[in-house]
Amino acid sequence: MDLAQIKAFIDAMASSDLAELEASKDGWTLRLVRHEGRSQPASRVADRSPSRPNTPTETLPAAPEICAPLSGIVYLRAGPDLPPYVEVGQAITAGMAVCVIEAMKTFIEVRAERDGVVEAILVSPGTLVEAGQPLMRTV
Amino acid sequence: MFESVLIANRGEIALRIQRACRSLGLRTIVVYSEADRDAPYVGRADVAVCIGPAAATHSYLDQAAILLAAKATGAEAIHPGYGFLSENALFAERVSEAGLTFIGPSAACIRTMGDKVAAKKAMRAAGVPCVPGPDAALPDDPEAVRRLAREIGYPVIVKAAGGGGGRGMRIVTEEAALLDALAVTREEAKRAFDNGEVYIEKFLTHPRHVEIQVLADGHGQALWLGSRDCSLQRRHQKVIEEAPALGIADELIAEIGERCARACQQIEYQGLGTFEFLFEDGAFYFIEMNTRLQVEHPVTEMTAGIDIVQQQLRVARGERLALTQADIRCRGHAFECRINAENPDNFAPSPGRITGWELPGGYGVRVDSHAGAGYTVSPHYDSMIAKLIVHGDDRADALARLRLALDEISVSGISTNLPLHRRIASDPAFSSGALDIHYLERRLREGAPRA
Repeated sequence: MDLAQIKAFIDAMASSDLAELEASKDGWTLRLVRHEGRSQPASRVADRSPSRPNTPTETLPAAPEICAPLSGIVYLRAGPDLPPYVEVGQAITAGMAVCVIEAMKTFIEVRAERDGVVEAILVSPGTLVEAGQPLMRTV
Repeated sequence: MFESVLIANRGEIALRIQRACRSLGLRTIVVYSEADRDAPYVGRADVAVCIGPAAATHSYLDQAAILLAAKATGAEAIHPGYGFLSENALFAERVSEAGLTFIGPSAACIRTMGDKVAAKKAMRAAGVPCVPGPDAALPDDPEAVRRLAREIGYPVIVKAAGGGGGRGMRIVTEEAALLDALAVTREEAKRAFDNGEVYIEKFLTHPRHVEIQVLADGHGQALWLGSRDCSLQRRHQKVIEEAPALGIADELIAEIGERCARACQQIEYQGLGTFEFLFEDGAFYFIEMNTRLQVEHPVTEMTAGIDIVQQQLRVARGERLALTQADIRCRGHAFECRINAENPDNFAPSPGRITGWELPGGYGVRVDSHAGAGYTVSPHYDSMIAKLIVHGDDRADALARLRLALDEISVSGISTNLPLHRRIASDPAFSSGALDIHYLERRLREGAPRA
């Protein structure tokens, strides 16, 4: 396991609502644990995630944001003539594509991690976003 | 005869071209986008001009901006590299009209070879063997199309005349699926290439990708510089290339090479070019010609002992080739690995800052790269960050050297496909060689444990 792979795990975890992640590879074991209250107030956390009622709320820390899984150019519609993936106020479900990021001639759809409603779109289409940068805020 | 060259490209190939220019004492003018301002070749240029923002459409593909930069800096020639504007006939024309030398063939040659149907017709006329199938666009009459497909024999492949590089094609295994495939390909071709012309060919099921490098001057002399095998591909993108192509009789390669050189003379081709073939069951079938310098040119440089880019500049300057076909030899064997900033498992792009960069070295090892520690791989361009090239006395020697070099090289901060290259280099089937173009994807699907 090299630095890049560890970083990839951290990024994957940061853009999800996982509280704990363990991965073994090539004789290595990597365990990542998220501590509550790092980035968002706990009150917010307790309000959301209706789709995962069994998850203990005190370990649910992740920002109710959808973050870029990698750096690239973000687009809010699949093509110039197509409607936007999502709009503010729209209800979204886990797994739904909310925008697309173009990196190195590849288009990667960004999908919602959980059910919710789009509260704000934080980026402009056609702009460069960094890995981990919040793209949308959801409630 | 030009004394200055504007390099209308970026990345490793901009650096490669710059080196060749400097070897001839030519001044280099580099145009760059805002994302590339810290690239090493920008700093080394005699003149460097920022031509626009990171997005290629507003910089490296902006013909007017490049021509304006050429005019403003007094550049006398433009080298288009590969990708971007390198096979754009209109750009070649505009460069000539501006009174500058386009380092490449004539716009007419680029246009003919860019149209796959016209290219096939020209190659047949020049005696180059092609994939069975008519060198004409398909008619509208469905019965006529069915008859053509039957004559060729299934499976067949429907291709867009304006396509290339693996885009705009569809395989048809039975007559029932033919007309639907035709309609879909036609529609896609119209949208993607603005040319709804499609044609049909025999689909070869287990071919190798073998290509011939050619070099022609403006005085009627054309040489072929040996063969390359680029069968290791994923999604039509070459991953590892080698020279020469293994296990093909010298006489057969020479016969094809001579036909390619003759075809160049016939169409008055000038500069570097590559004839790409499928090779199956001992026979060559022309698929397309690349009318430019190619990514994998170093494996030919290593085996032929010729600085191909320097030769390209020389013939563009109007020089006669100092070499004859009798001077061209193939010595030993060479491999090239395309090192990409991508996740080795799922191939997702991995742009970002390189924090660690250790290169291999020693006898027979070459790395062509513009990157290094501290370099940020931009998400705006393709993912190739380096080419690792090795040369050995024979294929086994070169492969052993490749494994050592892959052991030494290390890149951190971003993910790269180096683990994939290591896995291929230790794959027993790859060691035996002569694999078909589907081998790598098959192997990846099997998900064999990493070596």
